Amino acid sequence: MSELQSALLLKKQLAELNKNPVEGFSAGLIDDSDIYRWEVLLIGPPDTLYEGGFFKAHIYFPKEYPLRPPKMKFITEIWHPNIEKNGDVCISILHEPGDDKWGYEKACERWLPIHTVETIMISVISMLADPNDQSPANVDAAKEWRENFPEFKRKVARCVRRSQEEML
Amino acid sequence: MEMVPETEIQDEGILKQQREIEKEVAEIHPLVGNKQPLTCLLKEYMDDPIYTNKLTKLAGVYQSIRRVRPDGNCFFRGFGFSYFERLLDNEEEWKTFQAIVMGTKDQLISQGFPKFTLEDFFDSFMEVVNRLGGEGKMDAEELSRIFNDAGTSDYLVVYLRLVTSGQLQKEEDFYQNFLEGGKSMREFCQQEVEPMYRESDHMHAIALGSALKVGIRVVYLDRGEITTSPPEHDFPEDCTPSVYLLYRPGHYDILYK
Repeated sequence: MSELQSALLLKKQLAELNKNPVEGFSAGLIDDSDIYRWEVLLIGPPDTLYEGGFFKAHIYFPKEYPLRPPKMKFITEIWHPNIEKNGDVCISILHEPGDDKWGYEKACERWLPIHTVETIMISVISMLADPNDQSPANVDAAKEWRENFPEFKRKVARCVRRSQEEML
Repeated sequence: MEMVPETEIQDEGILKQQREIEKEVAEIHPLVGNKQPLTCLLKEYMDDPIYTNKLTKLAGVYQSIRRVRPDGNCFFRGFGFSYFERLLDNEEEWKTFQAIVMGTKDQLISQGFPKFTLEDFFDSFMEVVNRLGGEGKMDAEELSRIFNDAGTSDYLVVYLRLVTSGQLQKEEDFYQNFLEGGKSMREFCQQEVEPMYRESDHMHAIALGSALKVGIRVVYLDRGEITTSPPEHDFPEDCTPSVYLLYRPGHYDILYK
């Protein structure tokens, strides 16, 4: 029953997102037969270093969704303090309360059953615009962001360019 | 600020251990158990004179108990089951409750809860509520089946949590007097009310009872030495209770007179 409900909710969300797309990203499935594995294409948010980029990411939902959070991984190479070098996204809303692996401040917003793909993507977009260097997943990127911003910018610009080439 | 690998490993270990404990609890305890005579608790506390004394007094008022799985959701699950069970025998009250629940959806959406998921939880909740009376009325056995189906049961809990969160934020001026540690109401709701498996206290009880206009009486049973009967509290204050819960530190079960 739990599985059925999570699948239904995901199907409904996918249909809704296809019918009424949300600015900033598009969503589909990695494999049409598996509703639990999504592929999203995130458009680098305007007025950020990532502007103009097309970043592909995968979202993996557990069967217990929406009671437990999905995981998200960038497939396109991206340089950001809160994204691991292997692409894993580390933002507080993808973690349950009590899961303190990343040492988030207590006040950070955590996973809630009410979250949708849309609210996750809004958080990711805001993360791109505004990195949180209190809990970096990519320590090198965080250090660079703080101490050598020109080099950080250069690396991000390279990712943006590559992402555009991959789209061609 | 720097990542400390040892902490990370330790925390992952703790998290894994926590999941294992959760799994064990799930195997031993049904989400909502069968009704048992209250005296069954006496056996549990045979060697504890304080509990035995209190339980004996309690048994003069309450006949039976229905255990709820101790997974942090027990307040909401216990409340839901107990009140729904009552509605099965109270057609008029059921109609009133239906109207109250109908009103919660627009209220929560107007408070800014994401419509998409909110509607999903609301629809599941309403589907069960609609069958507590009228023509397609379910029986007690089916209610118990529904509450023991993890998917549906947890959805009901989520909706009750959302209603509670909405009420706390709507009446923030009143409830913020109970807040400790400089948290904002929104933070409290996002950390202690809306997430599954987070335990509840009197704030949750007052808010849920007020939002759904259901009186909740909680009987407190602990090792505190008293000579009178175990203390009882009604939420909201001065209500006529229609749900009775037994609280032992960290856990709620359902009580019956």
